[in-house]
Amino acid sequence: MGKKVFLVDTGICNGCYSCHIGCKDEHVTNDWTPVAKPQPEIGQFWLKMHEKIRGSVPKVKVHYRPGMCMHCDNPTCMEACPIDGAIYKRDDGLVIIDPEKCTGCRNCLEACPYEDVIYFNEDLNIAQKCTGCAHLLDNGWKETRCSDNCPTLAIRIVDEDSEEAKEFIANAEFYKPELAEKMKPRVYYKGLPKKFIAGTVFDPVADEVIIGGTCTLTGAGGKKFTTATDHFGDFWFENLPDGVFKLEIKADGKTKVFTDLDTAAADINLGDIPLT
Amino acid sequence: MSKKNVPKAIPGTAPPAVGADKTVVKAVNLSGGIFGACPAHVDVKDGKVIRIRPLHYDSKYDYESFNPWEMERNGVKFRPLSKSVPPPWGLAYKKRAYSPNRVPYPLKRVDWDPNGERNTHNRGSSKFERISWDEATDIIASEIRRIHKEYGPLAILVQGDGHSESKLIHAPHGCSTLLLDKMGGFTQQVRNPDSWEGWYWGAKHVWGKGFIGNMAPAENIVNDITENTELLIIQGGDLETTPWGFRGQMASRLMFFWQEAGIEQVYICPDLNYSAAIHANKWIPVLPNTDAALQLAIIYTWVTEGTYDKEYVATHAVGMDKIEDYVLGKVDGIPKTPKWASEKCGIPSYTIKALARHWAKKTTTVGHYFGGGYIRGPYATEPARLEVILLGMQGLGKPGVHHAQIAYLGMPKNITWDQLNYDIANSDTSKGFQEYSGTFETIKQKDPELHERIFNPHRGTPQAWGKQLIPKTLIEEAIKKGTDKYLEFWGTGGHEEEPIDQMIKYTYPCKKGDLRYTGEEKKDLTHNDSDIEKLYKEIDYDGTPIRMVWTDTPCRQTCWGDGFDIGMTIRDPQIEFVLAQHPWLENDCIYADIVLPTNTTLEVDDIMPCVRDGEHFQTVLNMRQAIPPVGDSKSDFEAVVEISKKLGMEEEVTIGRTIDEYIEGVYKGMNFDRIVSWEEFQEKDYMVIPVSKNWKTLPAGLYEFYKDPEANPLPTPTGKLEFCSTNLQKYFPNDEERPPYPQWIEKGITHDERLSSPRARAYPLLVVSNHPRWRVHAQADDIPWTKEAMTGKIRGFDGYLYEPCWINPKDAEARGIKTGDIVKVFNERGTVLCGALVIERIIPGAVSIDHGARTDIIIPGKLDRGGAINLITPKGLTSRHAGGQATTSFLVDVQRVTMEEYEKWRTGYPEAWNRQYDRASGLKASAWVERGIK
Repeated sequence: MGKKVFLVDTGICNGCYSCHIGCKDEHVTNDWTPVAKPQPEIGQFWLKMHEKIRGSVPKVKVHYRPGMCMHCDNPTCMEACPIDGAIYKRDDGLVIIDPEKCTGCRNCLEACPYEDVIYFNEDLNIAQKCTGCAHLLDNGWKETRCSDNCPTLAIRIVDEDSEEAKEFIANAEFYKPELAEKMKPRVYYKGLPKKFIAGTVFDPVADEVIIGGTCTLTGAGGKKFTTATDHFGDFWFENLPDGVFKLEIKADGKTKVFTDLDTAAADINLGDIPLT
Repeated sequence: MSKKNVPKAIPGTAPPAVGADKTVVKAVNLSGGIFGACPAHVDVKDGKVIRIRPLHYDSKYDYESFNPWEMERNGVKFRPLSKSVPPPWGLAYKKRAYSPNRVPYPLKRVDWDPNGERNTHNRGSSKFERISWDEATDIIASEIRRIHKEYGPLAILVQGDGHSESKLIHAPHGCSTLLLDKMGGFTQQVRNPDSWEGWYWGAKHVWGKGFIGNMAPAENIVNDITENTELLIIQGGDLETTPWGFRGQMASRLMFFWQEAGIEQVYICPDLNYSAAIHANKWIPVLPNTDAALQLAIIYTWVTEGTYDKEYVATHAVGMDKIEDYVLGKVDGIPKTPKWASEKCGIPSYTIKALARHWAKKTTTVGHYFGGGYIRGPYATEPARLEVILLGMQGLGKPGVHHAQIAYLGMPKNITWDQLNYDIANSDTSKGFQEYSGTFETIKQKDPELHERIFNPHRGTPQAWGKQLIPKTLIEEAIKKGTDKYLEFWGTGGHEEEPIDQMIKYTYPCKKGDLRYTGEEKKDLTHNDSDIEKLYKEIDYDGTPIRMVWTDTPCRQTCWGDGFDIGMTIRDPQIEFVLAQHPWLENDCIYADIVLPTNTTLEVDDIMPCVRDGEHFQTVLNMRQAIPPVGDSKSDFEAVVEISKKLGMEEEVTIGRTIDEYIEGVYKGMNFDRIVSWEEFQEKDYMVIPVSKNWKTLPAGLYEFYKDPEANPLPTPTGKLEFCSTNLQKYFPNDEERPPYPQWIEKGITHDERLSSPRARAYPLLVVSNHPRWRVHAQADDIPWTKEAMTGKIRGFDGYLYEPCWINPKDAEARGIKTGDIVKVFNERGTVLCGALVIERIIPGAVSIDHGARTDIIIPGKLDRGGAINLITPKGLTSRHAGGQATTSFLVDVQRVTMEEYEKWRTGYPEAWNRQYDRASGLKASAWVERGIK
């Protein structure tokens, strides 16, 4: 059995929640012991869709991130569990909370550094989370319910040594990369949002947008990014890191400067900028 | 825009039915009617559904045998997936079957006594008691007999049309006509083109009949856009919402593909709709229903800068002089400049000019998927017609220049087009079987009796075929006329009518001598008024006022206009009996005197051809029963059969055949056994219709007209694009609301819904009400899992799940509103409670509330807690002579509900406020049942 990895391309996720539905459809009311007991009807999400609205009118984008258990190779939940074998790692890399051995001590909830992964089922007095649909993979499925339901193939579960995985991982990143070295997660992402600075430049006297204006963005350490305003007078600096930037807009001999643009808190829409 | 990797199909991953003892195939789309989509495998154990999952087309066939199509642009390729891509609520459909909202058994309103006091004024207020099927059908049969005897058959109004589950034999809508048609007829509620009013009542007078008003032919435009279009303007439609109900999520992949292939996507809409949110290169927010101002300013820019295709306009269009005079201000003294438009539509004038110039430079298609801010609002005819004019000014029909209902039409044709039905007499393959009824032509020829049995229940949407007609938008007006006055209207609204139908004055009750369409197809139409003689003849009977309503589409209050009035009007004592049949005790069901429990697709045997455009592949499904009927339910067809038995009409209704005989008859009747044998189909339960090898040979869209307008004229009086309509000029020359050529209508006798109105002082916000993301109109509002999406429902402090009201942070701050607050959305027509969602996805000055939430009426005619925004939409039609609905883009205010107000309602209306409620799925059927609950 090859080791599994989840490959999640958020750049082609349309936010339809079919992954979330698939997880619920498979696990609410259905009992897949020994892999999993039923998930509560509402309020818990072994596959959780994270929605983020970026920017402000009219420079707005929506980002969706389907999040599941990272199935870490150094699972701190497993280390924190006092019961031998109640949380275990399968040969295929999936981390399972054994619903029959779990005693409900909740240590694993504290130990997991990622949010919205492990939930506590009060009715059953056990901790629960994504199983990677191990009960299906063991019975002929090549996918999980979330990935089979996905209309754009944004979620894939494949063998780590497959060509698809190698190609994806070469350009992928981790969610919360600062945790990756310690946790060794098995979920790889593409398209996680960075920050943007955007705006529209116009000439208020001529009442025209300015096309081809030069926009120069200077970040920490003097790193420069340049772009030109497009046919709508728009400029977009995308995939920016968190930090403080200075923006200089030049066109027709006129200049406008913005300083202290801090992307740490949020994406920045500078709105419609009159160049006078 | 970063490059995105659009994956190729990955055949060979079909999963087994783990844990199941049975697996069946079902279409889980919800557009309903005669065609399905979104095939899914349903796994069942011990009579319970355990999962619903995409159908892998290649689980029983070889993928390559489907002859998959391929499209390519800039080295990026697009191929069909090997699995279906149903929408989320289709995949969650077991929750719908097992909903606590199901009608548990036949119900009778407790204070409705057919032999005594009917208490019609208590409809919507008094509760129900359990009766048996035997008792219910006895009462129904006796009422039908009595009404027929006292008033005649046309006193029964059939409301049997619209969207629903996809079932062919057990048609969710219209089965009642199988009985009533054979007992002397009925009055038909004719469904208006509720999602695309503007094209139906407007664009038809520019380019002719089209396909239900949209551009036709529209063959192969998806591939043509792929190959030739540089700029795609999406004006109001949402490719990540509305296609779901019809054909699932293929359109989502298509939009990602076009993005990756470098086709620029510009979205013009008041809200950052779900498609704009992920596919837009640019979002140009526009105030709701002010698109016509923007469009006129674009024309102004093109005319003044000389940047339109004058040669094309000279040879392909009539009436440009009138348009030019109008935009230059020669008609009313107001030049339609970008500055003028900016004040109306809220888009800066420099952006309007930039858009106009960019459009003129680039090969541009305007895309939609029905719905959106302008096509179903007041005066929707105007922006719809202006859109066609704009496209005409840039060479409509030229490669890459189309009006596109994206992937609803224009996908590669399958072999039913050119190989399968080659022997159909009169088959018009040039239309590629776009019409609702066309594909059934083969059954009609082989087995007319079966055709009538299968087709008639589905006719209520496309055709006006009842002996007496009332447009769906005018039911309340008809009832209010009483029994001694006539209602007049122009055009039935039947989807497949010729444009000339809109020039005909109809009456209700109908009168001897009124004109009616003969139903004959004529090839030699001139599209002038002389066609009336060819297509219509005078009727030789008088109609009668309606006395009974038989509905199987009980969602008028939450899907049509001025819903509070709908709920009050049905209390009129003239309506002696209201019969509803429906699986769920929701919306208009509450207003019935008897409710019959019908069931879902999971509970019946049926067959479904999924043959319309918009999926990766087209299929035929042998939809076997997954689970036994839930509760005391029967299918919609079985319910009608039960009533027929009591009337001695069973044989007439069933034509003496079994369900299995229908299924086999449809499969063989449509010639599908020429692709996969009947035996193999039964064994595999589905088959995939291969793509035609010749699909690319069909000319794209209006290419033939573009190339040679004389040889390939449009079906208009002049054969050209009529920027100024010959027929409107002749029949309604002085109509200020739909003038002969499109204009800006600030207000009129029908509507006063703009920010310039004095009404806006009290109601300063415009509602944009889109087709819902998490429902299909009124369907599926009880699925708990979609409610958990961020934009699904908002749980109030009281635990109730409120319908979200999107409001911009600026408007929210001015009103002290925070996300999660219970807010009231109100105008003179009433108050609807919602949950605030403060969000940058809506512009200041507008709020967005999806339509179709389940009503939860607290004060009849005044206050609703369910968030059914259509309760307070305008009453009026699209305009005086255009019989559409105007259910988006209207004035309201939004305010936070104070604790005092909340307490006043909670204590003042304790029974309504405390209806039985399921924390996960919402209102329970038991809330409305007084006696009989076990």
